Amino acid sequence: MTKITSRHYVFAGLFAVVTVSMMLNYSPDTVVSAETQKMYDFVESLPAGSTLIISFDHEASSLPEIRPLALAVLRHAFRNDIKLIGTALLSEGTGVGYRLMQQTANEFNKSYGVDYVYLGFKPQYIAAILSMGESISRTYPVDYLGKTYSEHPMLKDIDTYNDIAGVISIADGSLTTHWIEYGNARFGVRISAALTAAMVTTYDPYLSSGQLEAIVGGLRGAAEYEKLLNIGGGGKRGMLAQTASHLYVLILVIAGNVMYFRRRSSGRGNT
Amino acid sequence: MAISTITAGLLTLAILSFLYRDNPIYKVAESLLVGVSIGYFLVITWSTTLMDLLFIPLFSEHKISLVIPFILGLLMFGRFFKGTSHISRIAIAVLIGSGAGAAIPAMLNARTLQQISATIQPILLESGWLDISAIVVIAGVLSTLAYFYFSREHTGSFGWVAKGGTYFLMAFCGTTFGYTVMSRMSTFIGRMEFLLSDFLHLTQ
Repeated sequence: MTKITSRHYVFAGLFAVVTVSMMLNYSPDTVVSAETQKMYDFVESLPAGSTLIISFDHEASSLPEIRPLALAVLRHAFRNDIKLIGTALLSEGTGVGYRLMQQTANEFNKSYGVDYVYLGFKPQYIAAILSMGESISRTYPVDYLGKTYSEHPMLKDIDTYNDIAGVISIADGSLTTHWIEYGNARFGVRISAALTAAMVTTYDPYLSSGQLEAIVGGLRGAAEYEKLLNIGGGGKRGMLAQTASHLYVLILVIAGNVMYFRRRSSGRGNT
Repeated sequence: MAISTITAGLLTLAILSFLYRDNPIYKVAESLLVGVSIGYFLVITWSTTLMDLLFIPLFSEHKISLVIPFILGLLMFGRFFKGTSHISRIAIAVLIGSGAGAAIPAMLNARTLQQISATIQPILLESGWLDISAIVVIAGVLSTLAYFYFSREHTGSFGWVAKGGTYFLMAFCGTTFGYTVMSRMSTFIGRMEFLLSDFLHLTQ
């Protein structure tokens, strides 16, 4: 039998906090940050009929955080009649990306091949990004479903980044950096990112320098985006649990420090 | 309930069981994750890369130029045998050479030159007021660089500047840690939402 330690109490407490928060079914209001507003404005500024590449550059393990973000961005694009090309630079993002695009396309009655296409995965991300700058049709001679590139009406006049309004990289790691280094710096294509919260500070300098057009990050970013779109979603639903869990961590940090200083002042050790 | 939802729910619970202690159910779920990920990668790479970009164009459409990457790819298999492992170095050399050739100028441009350019901004606004954020950026960059300058002892005024750099570094680490906590909580919340609504139907 495993001895119950303080670690177990911490996990049990977090489990209780998140479960109760979600059972309450309440979504607190969120204030839209400048970064999320910038992403919204970027998509909003694109004329109907223009084409975006949505690149699913994440692993399956990030799905709980990535899903609300991706759905919000996809819904915004489809709502504004923007045509979408789906790609993936990580193999695990391939199936996830297709499912998310298919789900949102069905919500807006969009047709495959006319309003959106899913090209799928290519390994060696640097080679893939550079190759798409030369010719997307040669990089992806067939799409995820095995149909040839020329079969799709929406791809008739699209072959390089010059024919694309921008790239939105939905990422949980460093792959957006490669879009910036090769897509933006080499070919001048506008790059935006929908990121897990852990990656936001990594990309902030690129946003400040203008190498990134916009960033929307984490569950909070998803909730803000949903607010701008005036729709419900996983972001809004998770905000009470997010706030409560942060307060819980804050209380743990304060309690841990109080216990540490009390122990130190009573001379029971200083480690 | 769909079989995929039941499978996902049970596997989520199996992984979460590690929070109590390591156990065989967790090990099964972990092994499944690794196996399925690798299997999926192999299938996707085979169908979308080797078939679409190499075998079909080379053998069906007779694009002769693809013989070169095909042979280079075959050379990589030399690593499996002791006597032929040296021939894989040719393919690795091509890979590293072309990779470095593509990466170095791109990284220098995007990560260094453009970032330096973004750091050096006017400290006066058009209105004549000082741009506080530009000053903070310059102070942060210079003091952090001073902290990482190890050819001179960190004493005197230089030591104070380097010390200032540590505060900027701590602020960055704190912000990054905060965002990481937020990210992990978001993942947990996302999974709990799936468990409570799709799997257990306790919430809408």
